[in-house]
Amino acid sequence: MLKLFIISTVIFWLAVAGFWLAAVFITTQPVTVVVVEPAVVKPAVKGYLLAEVAGHARQDDCWMAIEGSVYDITTYLPDHPSAPELILPWCGKEATQAWRTKNKGRRHSSRANQLLEKYRIGQLR
Amino acid sequence: MTAHLYLRHFAAPFAALMLTLAVVWWAFPEQMPFWRSLAIVTAWGGSGLLVANLVLMVREPHIARLLGGLESMYRWHHRSGMIAYLLLLCHPLALALNGWVEAPQLAWQTLVPQAQSWPLWLGWIALILLMLGLATTFAVRLPYRRWRAFHFALSLGVLFALAHVYALLGGANTLLLLIVVTGVALGWRFIASDLGMASHPYRVTQVVHQAGDMIEALLTPCASAITVAPGQFVLVAFGDGHAYHGCGEYHPFTVSSIEADGALRVGIKALGACSQRLQHLEPEVLLRLQGPFGTFLSESLTGSPFVPQLWIAGGVGITPFMAALRAHACNRPTTLIYLFRKEADAAFLDELTALATTAPQFELLTDASDQGLPDFPELLGKIDQITAHEVFICGPLPMVEAVLPLLREMGVAKESIHFERFDFR
Repeated sequence: MLKLFIISTVIFWLAVAGFWLAAVFITTQPVTVVVVEPAVVKPAVKGYLLAEVAGHARQDDCWMAIEGSVYDITTYLPDHPSAPELILPWCGKEATQAWRTKNKGRRHSSRANQLLEKYRIGQLR
Repeated sequence: MTAHLYLRHFAAPFAALMLTLAVVWWAFPEQMPFWRSLAIVTAWGGSGLLVANLVLMVREPHIARLLGGLESMYRWHHRSGMIAYLLLLCHPLALALNGWVEAPQLAWQTLVPQAQSWPLWLGWIALILLMLGLATTFAVRLPYRRWRAFHFALSLGVLFALAHVYALLGGANTLLLLIVVTGVALGWRFIASDLGMASHPYRVTQVVHQAGDMIEALLTPCASAITVAPGQFVLVAFGDGHAYHGCGEYHPFTVSSIEADGALRVGIKALGACSQRLQHLEPEVLLRLQGPFGTFLSESLTGSPFVPQLWIAGGVGITPFMAALRAHACNRPTTLIYLFRKEADAAFLDELTALATTAPQFELLTDASDQGLPDFPELLGKIDQITAHEVFICGPLPMVEAVLPLLREMGVAKESIHFERFDFR
């Protein structure tokens, strides 16, 4: 078991070093590691109709209505863990059900809740 | 294989596997990219195994019986810890590979904690603690007390790992369950076992010097007595006497005699610093006792009375056989091969010799080998129809490892060979 421990630990650190070297030496198209700034948060809570939300149903302009609030998550989309085809269809829609049934019918985590709040732009009228 | 043997072999790994599979099933990702899915599965698989690993560390007689005995629990404590470590090493690498699909820079960003939020730091601290804890776990040359202190770094690693998950996901029910199980397991181990809250108070009422470096202590219960069977061991932490100062930590001692009034005798050989000090043990010393543990000789006592038995004892390994011989008259053909360095070191030799002359079913073969291993082929060659015997072995590891292949070569069935290979580290 000692051998297994040594081999796995060495491979792990070699892999970490490999990722570092790759990041330094492999040049790809300039990657913008997006420091996600929340969308413009309006000081006053603005009300939107679902019809207005529906006008933002594209990958480069994605609003969603969740539990009575409206969110502009365009800048967050690239960072969302699941496959794009899973989340994109909800752009421009009332997505509360999707929010509450993420995986095996479970809600998103409380951390996701906090994250989502940063993208709130108003409430649903 | 009997149901009893199945339990002893598979209860502990089955419990660990079920807990882990349940956790992985709960968290199994749907419609996620491959590498991210792998990262989630390895994270939850590793966490489930870490928690199972802590449960397997609990020293409680009922739990030990349920999970097939402390020996099996400790074996799987080691294995589950190692597998958990491997899975948790894969977790950050799989996350990085998930980023790699987009760009190498993103992969590196995923790994560097300063580019991420503080929960990532918790994850890295957990992994480093597990790494350091495991590294010291393998350093068996460390003195036991220091080794144990380093080993506790591993439980700290588990706490950081769970904090990492909690910070990321919040209070999901499954995670809360894992945290509660971890708290109970660690609490039981530290408060009930190590601090002795669940132990039985006994006192030393007699100390007999059995051989050059071995004493036999009579332990009498101060309150309720525990029920022990021959072949079992207890964990004992000795206190202080007038001139004697105990080490205060629990060590395992095999019971050498079970008295009618609930008192026990244990054989204590000077093998380490603490047991060396115990050679000066004196009556009236108070002690805390936990147990009993172990299933060695249980098949011997419950098996058919017509099957002859071969017992092979090396040094202090004679102790469980003494408990059996003292507890019951020998009612089946039993041959005891007793191996020691020299006669002066051979505890209980006079008692055994006397028994061999009076008990018709009991035969004693002794061998003193000053250095190295005895001539096992010659010794075992003295046993008529050795394949018909149930064989029980207790002694130092090199002896057990030398005898096992020889017995198999001589045609003794694997199921007929019984031994306990116990190590508290």
